[in-house]
Formats: sequence, structure tokens, C-alpha cells
Amino acid sequence: MSFTVDSKMIDNVARLTLTGALDSSTAIMLQEEVMKIIPQNPRELVMDVEHLDFMASAGLRIIIFAKQKLGTQAKLVLVKPQDQLIETLKMTGLIFSVVIVDKYPE
Amino acid sequence: MKKATESRNFIASLDSLEPMRDFVSQKGSEAGLNKKQIYGLCLAVDEISTNIILYGYQSSGITDGVISIKINFENDIFVVILEDKATPFNPLEARTPDENELGLPLEERKIGGLGIMMAKESVDEFRYEFKDGKNLNIFSVKALDN
Repeated sequence: MSFTVDSKMIDNVARLTLTGALDSSTAIMLQEEVMKIIPQNPRELVMDVEHLDFMASAGLRIIIFAKQKLGTQAKLVLVKPQDQLIETLKMTGLIFSVVIVDKYPE
Repeated sequence: MKKATESRNFIASLDSLEPMRDFVSQKGSEAGLNKKQIYGLCLAVDEISTNIILYGYQSSGITDGVISIKINFENDIFVVILEDKATPFNPLEARTPDENELGLPLEERKIGGLGIMMAKESVDEFRYEFKDGKNLNIFSVKALDN
């Protein structure tokens, strides 16, 4: 279960597709993509996480970092997080700062 | 599996995190733990091992460190013990975010302490001991009648 991240920008919306396990050995891959996205000032950052099976705090820190850099106006959307990931978002309070949807665009 | 004891050694490197989680998942599933319990144990093992690898061993210049995982399953209690010989560190005494901080918008958050907090929240019990020159991080969950 390795980690992959795909990135594209459509109509000023950054879309990332994450699969596998996001831990402190793989978080650097996501961080690199996020660093490329930030200077482009997207109006939304959409992460498709349906096939993301594991996320440690290293991954959460990148989400927090991205939100801090993109500012309050930019929406952060998670598409189809698995139950355990929703638990993590609740436990850390991140659930209040992201928008969770079943598909994007809705 | 009503009763079992297992142990395995891992090189203290971030590349070991996935095999460590796989080992715990496999044993947890053999013991009949549910998906949420297995995920919680993997998260606790991952977070605390990351700290041991990055701060316990690497920052003190030890390059050939080892983390042992011992698993004990008896009387419906599944116990995972992480054992290392890095710098003594009790994660339960580390500062973690409080209720107020967790309620802050992300823009105002300080980044830190999340991993240990997640480890604590993800298992039924988290204990720490320092014994015979070793750090012992002990996670337990109770197997339910699933």
C-alpha cells in the first residue's frame, strides 16, 4: 500500500487525488505538490481521498499548512473520506475547517 | 486466536512504518479486533514510532536503532508494546493541544502535539514505562464480541 498523489489545476481549482498511506515517510510527496499549488492561488483546494487508506498527523500538518497559506477565502474540500479518516478529523477538530462531499463538483 | 504472544524487530527508519502497521494489522485481525480498533492501533504505533525514529534515535545520532513490537493477546485484551533504546521520552508528559486550540480555525493553529494526542485517542489505554534502559510504549484495546 504505497502512496500516490496526482495533481491538476482546472478553472483555478487545485485538484489532488491521494491513494494509499500518508505517513511521515510519504508526506513529503504531498508537501511538494502543495508547495507548487500555493503560488498559483487557487480559489479551492479539492482532495479526492476515497482511496486514501491511512493518514497520520504528518498528513494533517500539510492540510493545516495548506489552509494557512491559502487563507480563509480558499475552500478546502475532501471528497469521500473513509470512516477512519473522518474520526481523525473529528478528534483533531479539523472537521470544522474542511468541507466534506461525496463527489465534486456536487 | 484466544491467546498469543508475538514479537518482531524493525529498523528504526521511516521506511519501517508501513511494515510495522502491516504486522499490527495482521495480528489484530487474527485476534478478531474490528476495523476501527485495528486502525487505531496502527495510528498509535505509527505516530509514536515516528517520534522515536526522528527524535529518539536520529537526533541523538544513532543510525542503527531498533524498535521491537511485542504483541500479547490474553483474556480478550490485545496489547502492543513498542520497545526502543533511544533517549528516554515519555510521550504522555508531552504537551498536546487542548479543547480550545482544537476549536481554533486552521489559520490560527499552531502545528504540533497532534500525533501524540491522536495516539492517545485511538486506543483504549496508553501507558509508558522506562525499564532496563528501554522506553516501553504500551497500547491496549479490548476485543469486543464482534
